[in-house]
Amino acid sequence: MSEIVESARSKTSLVRDYGPIVLAAALLALVPLAFHDSPSKMTVIIGGLLFCAYAIGFNVIFGSTGQLFLCTGALAGIGGFSAAIVNDRTGVPMLLAIAIGGLLAALVGGLLSWIAVSRSLDTIFTGVVTLAFSLSFENFVLGRKDLTGGETGIRIEAASETILDDQVAPYYIFLGLVVVYLVLYRVIQRSQMGWAFKALRDDEVAAELAGVDVTRYRVYAGIIGSAMLGVAGAVFAFHRGFIGPTTYAFGDVDVSVLVMLVFGGIGSLLGPVVGAVVFTILDEALVDFARLREMLYGIVIVVLFLGFRRGLIPSLESVRSKRRDRSEG
Amino acid sequence: MTAVVLDGIVLGLQMGLLGVGLTLVYGLGGVLNLAHGQFAVFAAIVIARLLDADLSLWVAIPAGLVCAALLGLVIDLSLMRPVYRLRGEDRVLLGLLLMLGVGTIIDGLLEWRYPIEALSIRVPGGPVSVLGVPMRRGGLVGSAMALTAGAALFGFFRFSTFGRATRSVIQDEDGARLCGVNPGTVRTTIFVLSGILAGLVGISRSMTAPIEVTSGVGLTITALIVAVVGGLGSVSGAFLAGVLLGIVSTVSAFYIGSYITTIVLLATAALTIVFRPSGLLGHRP
Repeated sequence: MSEIVESARSKTSLVRDYGPIVLAAALLALVPLAFHDSPSKMTVIIGGLLFCAYAIGFNVIFGSTGQLFLCTGALAGIGGFSAAIVNDRTGVPMLLAIAIGGLLAALVGGLLSWIAVSRSLDTIFTGVVTLAFSLSFENFVLGRKDLTGGETGIRIEAASETILDDQVAPYYIFLGLVVVYLVLYRVIQRSQMGWAFKALRDDEVAAELAGVDVTRYRVYAGIIGSAMLGVAGAVFAFHRGFIGPTTYAFGDVDVSVLVMLVFGGIGSLLGPVVGAVVFTILDEALVDFARLREMLYGIVIVVLFLGFRRGLIPSLESVRSKRRDRSEG
Repeated sequence: MTAVVLDGIVLGLQMGLLGVGLTLVYGLGGVLNLAHGQFAVFAAIVIARLLDADLSLWVAIPAGLVCAALLGLVIDLSLMRPVYRLRGEDRVLLGLLLMLGVGTIIDGLLEWRYPIEALSIRVPGGPVSVLGVPMRRGGLVGSAMALTAGAALFGFFRFSTFGRATRSVIQDEDGARLCGVNPGTVRTTIFVLSGILAGLVGISRSMTAPIEVTSGVGLTITALIVAVVGGLGSVSGAFLAGVLLGIVSTVSAFYIGSYITTIVLLATAALTIVFRPSGLLGHRP
């Protein structure tokens, strides 16, 4: 009897935990049906998915453990450039190159995280150190022309004439990546590591006193999130077939990712997805305004943040739970 | 070598002046003004427009400063109200995101209306010899402005009643309130002051290099790095950090050059923060 109850409960919790991911994936899977005729629209949409993947990686680091990494673009760039260079110079297969890219990003991200945690830097200080790292990476990319092609960037031929070269197939590859990241995020959240993340985010001192190794779990988050960023950057490099200094630049990646995540909801499962969808649509809607676009974008940021201070997903959830309380009470 | 170091000091004083405005606002209310550089550009473009209309420099400069101050006042009285109702990390996050939005709006507005406008103030007269090194007059006037502003701020915080009230809010907001200091008034005043300081940077910097419509983001990033290295909330720390980073920058540009210069500069900033997490002259909260 109790076993049946137990299994029923675990089934409902399984639905509750992973249902939103399935739903989001199903909805996103329908998008190419509407836009597969327009290569330019598909390029924008794939870009949106890429940023969604970035935002999930950033969410693992910032959302789960409060480390403000202002080097999302740089970590993705380490993945992208190293995968492209390794593939080009040594001819290792694409998948292995992507893995190497992810691994390098994880190493660098873990190191940054370890420095920040072991010197107990707070949010702003971690932000500025990682910002300095970002800008250094940008200068490195511009300066080491022999490796990175400098301003002209590098062409990557490895993926031409494979499915990554097309538009619709890569869409599903990126969607797959996003789904894998979401599942990973949920698995971590429900594991012992997730409990530690929650504890150290709620009250760091209490967590430490309760025996949570705060340093170790922060560094874990840094490593996992950075690996996600590196892999996403590397897959994108092979798909696009070209990477340059602006592909992963701070101004082009980090600000958008931060805005997307905070708007969707920091530390929520679907926050990055909602944020990426909303801001991709917004970006596309503002294209026609040409030079007015940047100003309108700024106005939208201000208005949205005044309206949804805690992020869209958490705001909706609190409305729902309030309604439930009222109907129960 | 002396020439390189002197150039570094001239550059560094500008960086310090840039960092001071940001550091004050953050130290006081926890708002990281990510539009600080855009404030400077805004003032510079106002001045450039007025100069284009054939007004004299002595009219244009005060007008630019007044506009920057008004911009600060308007933003403090409107957008910053909901921010100050929050506490802790929530306040920091909402503050910096709103100011990021404001910065984007200013950038977008200026690039849309005046895409090719730039301010470049030429100081007449030939080079002046300092310690046997001929220095450009523009840089010296700019440095003098930065030093005067720094000294004035230092005196203000040390000796005036309002300055002491401001420091009390930086140290303990609730305590200051209990002693009859209204943190709201202090914050508004300092936000306006920070706007004026940004305007000053726009003026003094344009004496050595033109300020363009697109300069805002770069200035903000410099201000942020200088303020953090100096210790958030510390006036003298910002100037110290500015001069240190300025010297590092010119020395490494002279001896190493190429893209590594910027990396050396950024690495110095990062290492300072890592080894002194509260900044050069900051207090650990």
